[in-house]
Amino acid sequence: MPFFQVNDRCNGCLACVQNCPASALDYEDQNNRRTLRHNMSLCARCGQCWRVCPQQAIEFRHFLKSAWDEVVTLDLLRCDVCGEPLYTVPFKQTVTERRKGEVEPFCPKHRREVDALVRAHFRPGPGFEER
Amino acid sequence: MIVGNMKPLEEIVDSLSGFRKVLILGCGSCVTVCLAGGDREARQLALELSRSSAFSGSPPFLAVDTIIRQCERDLVSAYQSLPEGTEAILSLACGCGVQTLGDVFEPLPVIPALNTTFYGASNEAGVWQEVCQGCGDCVLSFTGGICPVARCAKSLFNGPCGGSRNGSCEIYADVPCAWALIYYRLKKQNKLHLLHAVREPRDWRPAGGAGPRVRRRTGVGGGPGQNKLE
Repeated sequence: MPFFQVNDRCNGCLACVQNCPASALDYEDQNNRRTLRHNMSLCARCGQCWRVCPQQAIEFRHFLKSAWDEVVTLDLLRCDVCGEPLYTVPFKQTVTERRKGEVEPFCPKHRREVDALVRAHFRPGPGFEER
Repeated sequence: MIVGNMKPLEEIVDSLSGFRKVLILGCGSCVTVCLAGGDREARQLALELSRSSAFSGSPPFLAVDTIIRQCERDLVSAYQSLPEGTEAILSLACGCGVQTLGDVFEPLPVIPALNTTFYGASNEAGVWQEVCQGCGDCVLSFTGGICPVARCAKSLFNGPCGGSRNGSCEIYADVPCAWALIYYRLKKQNKLHLLHAVREPRDWRPAGGAGPRVRRRTGVGGGPGQNKLE
């Protein structure tokens, strides 16, 4: 949903366009149609359009509480033991390259348990003599 | 931007004593960017207050919300609602926001959670430095873009004092002397002649010496409160 929304009281008077201090509003007259346009990258959310609109047509609440935009979706790695989400596949690749070694996907709890198991398994037993 | 600092938790706890239901209200503008009073800080403060053992009884019930700007009366009136039974608002805005909320929700007490500190610029992540005092009569055009009002400890107008040493201020060695900065900047700009100009004594009325300052822009009137549909 767009941030800048008007209700059906908008009559295209352009008071908002003329009073926008950020030049974030514009319009286009083509054939027999007028189109009001808004550019969020310019908008300061100052509310001046909402203040000056003689028709009270601007639904400023959409600037204040709006839906989330999805930015990117990446493959996710989970803990090999419990399935807790850990990090993304590209993140693992980055870390692997920087560490110059593989990273095993375990959550902190299971990493400690696996490390303890490995240490116990390889602990020198009775009769071991260090050379 | 306006820079603020969170007050000590004990001071906030003291100011909330006796209230049973409090709205913690973040501000989505300057204090969000300077990491002092945005939505994240509002939620963190609610968490810390709810866990605080400093309350003599149990902590008040805490609701949390954030509005993009607390310093605009019409915006707050139209879009900020209070949870039922709210006995006080703990505002994380600058002093402008706290006072606007106080006007809008009068007689509800509005308590500041921040100390409003200065107008700052950020030269590196997480650091804001005072560079302007809003004196109302900007001299940057003949001081090489460096403000002697904000950046000289004495706000000197006509050159450095005797405490300037090797480019540093006498208050701390790591504080640059504003007038040394001005001199070297103007030298780089080949504008040292600006320092020879004799100027009139400063009129401090635009700095607030003639009472609280108000700016009116023409041609902006109206608004939802005034442009009623007939």
